[in-house]
Amino acid sequence: MPIEIPKDKWTGNIRAITIGATSADGGTRTKAVTVGGGTTMPYLQFEAPTPNKPVIAIEIKSRKPEDWSPLLAEVWGEAMADPARWAKKAEEAGADLLVLALTVEDSVEDAVKAVKSVLEATGLPLIVWGPGQAEKDNELLVPVSEATKGERLVLGICEDKNYRTIVATAMANGHLVQARAPMDVNLSKQLNILISDMGMPKERILMDPTTGALGYGIEYGYSVMERLRLAALQGDAMTQFPMIVTPGFEAWKTKEAKVGEGVPEAWGDWNARAINWETITATALVESGADIIVLRHPESVKRIKEAIEELIAA
Amino acid sequence: MEHSVTFTLDEKPLTVSVPTNTLLADAAHIAGIDIGQPCGGQGRCGRCAVQVTGGTVRRRSTLRLSPADIEQGYALACQTVVEGDVSIYVPPQEKIERRLTTDRVVAEVTVPDGYDYLQSQTVQRIHLELTPPSMDDQTDDWSRLQTALRLQHRFLQVACSLNLLQRLGTVLRAGDWKVTAVIDVSNVIRNDETNQVVRLIDLQPGHLDEFAPLWGAAIDIGTTTVSLWLVDLVTGKVRAQVAEYNGQIARGEDVISRIIYAGKNGGGSDLRQRVLDTINGLLDTACKRVKAKPGEVVKATIAGNSTMMHLLLGISAESIRLSPFITAVNHPPIMSAREVGLNTHPEASVDCLPGVASYVGADITAGVLSSGVDSAEDTTLFLDVGTNGETVLGNRDWLVTCACSAGPAFEGAGVVNGMRATTGAIEEVWINSETFEPTYRVIGGGRPKGICGSGLIALLSEAFLTGILDKAGNVKLTAGSPRVREGAHGGEYVVAWGAETESGEDIVLSRVDVDNLLRAKAAIYAGFTVLAETVGIELQNVSKVLVGGSFGKYINVEKAVQIGLLPDLSWDHFDFLGNTSVKGAYYALLDWRGRERIGEIAKRMTYIELSADNTFYEAFTSALFLPHTDLGKFPSVEMALKKD
Repeated sequence: MPIEIPKDKWTGNIRAITIGATSADGGTRTKAVTVGGGTTMPYLQFEAPTPNKPVIAIEIKSRKPEDWSPLLAEVWGEAMADPARWAKKAEEAGADLLVLALTVEDSVEDAVKAVKSVLEATGLPLIVWGPGQAEKDNELLVPVSEATKGERLVLGICEDKNYRTIVATAMANGHLVQARAPMDVNLSKQLNILISDMGMPKERILMDPTTGALGYGIEYGYSVMERLRLAALQGDAMTQFPMIVTPGFEAWKTKEAKVGEGVPEAWGDWNARAINWETITATALVESGADIIVLRHPESVKRIKEAIEELIAA
Repeated sequence: MEHSVTFTLDEKPLTVSVPTNTLLADAAHIAGIDIGQPCGGQGRCGRCAVQVTGGTVRRRSTLRLSPADIEQGYALACQTVVEGDVSIYVPPQEKIERRLTTDRVVAEVTVPDGYDYLQSQTVQRIHLELTPPSMDDQTDDWSRLQTALRLQHRFLQVACSLNLLQRLGTVLRAGDWKVTAVIDVSNVIRNDETNQVVRLIDLQPGHLDEFAPLWGAAIDIGTTTVSLWLVDLVTGKVRAQVAEYNGQIARGEDVISRIIYAGKNGGGSDLRQRVLDTINGLLDTACKRVKAKPGEVVKATIAGNSTMMHLLLGISAESIRLSPFITAVNHPPIMSAREVGLNTHPEASVDCLPGVASYVGADITAGVLSSGVDSAEDTTLFLDVGTNGETVLGNRDWLVTCACSAGPAFEGAGVVNGMRATTGAIEEVWINSETFEPTYRVIGGGRPKGICGSGLIALLSEAFLTGILDKAGNVKLTAGSPRVREGAHGGEYVVAWGAETESGEDIVLSRVDVDNLLRAKAAIYAGFTVLAETVGIELQNVSKVLVGGSFGKYINVEKAVQIGLLPDLSWDHFDFLGNTSVKGAYYALLDWRGRERIGEIAKRMTYIELSADNTFYEAFTSALFLPHTDLGKFPSVEMALKKD
């Protein structure tokens, strides 16, 4: 007897959102990336195919980070000192798009220069993060946004206490924004409402539900992402945005990835463990419906790409 | 086409000529008449109502007017255009002050229908005439008094304190064996078959007027505010109403921090003394108003949440805080004031009303009594907008209740320029959406000292609707008004400049205040929505929403809906009852049947524990937004926002 698999019928879907503008669209990117568009829970191919598969962004910085793991410094090498070179290497490593994180040490000129050099070095779409301090973020992102008008960058990271300036400049210059709320369905929705209320078109918002690394709250993040997706499919317009997650940033903060000495022998090889930590974190997030996965290690990029292919093929 | 418009303010009419479709407000301006338009002429506030006494006008919006208003010719000057020669009466501002259809004012307290002192009151004043002793009748004084009580009043058993016994002989002789007694006759009046003991409270020489005022006090001990009504038990009338912040606030704002403090060395007795000082202070103030002495108060009925009751009585409240969260006592026996520590008559009967559970105390059972939820035919929602947001849903067949910690913001505490609703408090605010200039009303009419609960509700709503605040409560510093500025704790809005205020300091609404108000309203909203969900009742199907709270004399329900404190139901669903707890204590003070009913209510209520799962927290965070994360729950606010 043939078994009929029951299918869910949803009233809503995730918005398809395009990052990066090619010359045809008034930008300089050689390709644009489209994410989202899902009409089912993730990878239920028997209900509907996945319209746009998740993409990998590699995180690079405007200047060589002193606090990154020596394992990362080893793999990226000298390129880390120059964002343009680093960007190129990241593209070679398989990135679909890039995240350029600015730092507190950057002046406005430094920031604009770094962003422009990355845009020149590669044709990939770009996400630009401020250093993570409200005032400094606003100080740097506004001139960056103006200097790259029309490129459809993603500017971030907007939070409920500091979103106005970033959204305003993104709106004025044709960019997108990344909206981060602390692992809560309601708080995510609220921030999306605040941003939409300013007049930001819904095609230009990415939702960042906040990532918890493996062992550091991943279950909670997973559940929140799942519920955001369910709400979106049930027709809640303010949750119908693609999700961007940051497993690279989070996993490489953990002691397990960061520390190589003075840890129990049973923890095994440091390099293998650190990459595993990033990969396992990222895989779980992909499965819970993440659309853009921001990673740090090239090996993780390779593995996650394979994992995504398997999920799509399944 | 030109029309003549004649305005009448005091006596002499002013006439101007204006074209068809001129706004009455503009015509008034041309005539040199200043009609206040607090909301900037948008038809939001309804404060520019005038009376059309003749001619034709067209009202663009009548939202702020009741059918009765329109019947009487009222029209909003900012929303009404001239279509012919018209005569307009401009009422004095104070007359239209209370005309808003959205305002709900606390009703004056009236003596319950059919109050009969002799049938209802458990403390009574009686005359006694004793047979003087002689060589032939050597009965002792105490037996002689008992005999008189038995023969003249059929009180078969009497109890008496040592203190009174010590004075007995002197009083009997000073009155030449005629005395006036005050007795607690609870057991007899309730016809308790197992216990017919009456208790002697006071004995005075001579026959005093039996129907002169006999003082009782109804007291509500709130976590933030303590209220006391002084009542003449003979007539049943409330003769003085006073309130003050609870002196315990200095030792913690919520019940949990008070319990923790009480557990520290000496903490319990410190808290007990503080609340006693507050109550005794109020007793003094109230008695002075009626030229009585606290020592003449012979009965006190006390409502309050379970923690407040424990702390008042010096009973450890620790078990309220710790799992499985039980009280030491839900229903204390009747005690004497001497034991409790009240400065009333030392033998006064002190009746602490019964509660249900740790977090549903006598304040809410008393509230149910005074709001009448327990006898309502249709399903009624009763909200107490207090520090512990208690909610009761039900009717005469069933009652469910829950409590959540809302914080003291709506009582004016924990807010930088907050204050109780007394003289000097800003109780109503309108903000002009073009200029961001506010118009406010101060209780008593003088210079403002701060903002009370109803003022805070109005202010939050106006700041939100005019765009000074975004939906998360962030202050929009780019608003372009000097009133919107960076303060010590983030953005703030200046309601009154120092030059206008009592203290000379600016009165502001700060970002921190907004957060506190948001949390308070979110907790209350989440409380009643979860409660309704638990029993499967749609809020739309609730026939009445009764709002209690000691945050002011009135509430503008539209404003309270706009901030998401009250559900978005039509305005006629709402009644504001003021402090329902002290009112319930008053009913219980007067009438033993009311007192019995509170006991019944306590037994009937089903308590829903909100912390049992994640539902409340989810509802809370989604309500932590203006008006709510799900704007679809607030269609009227959605409309108001669209209009702007």
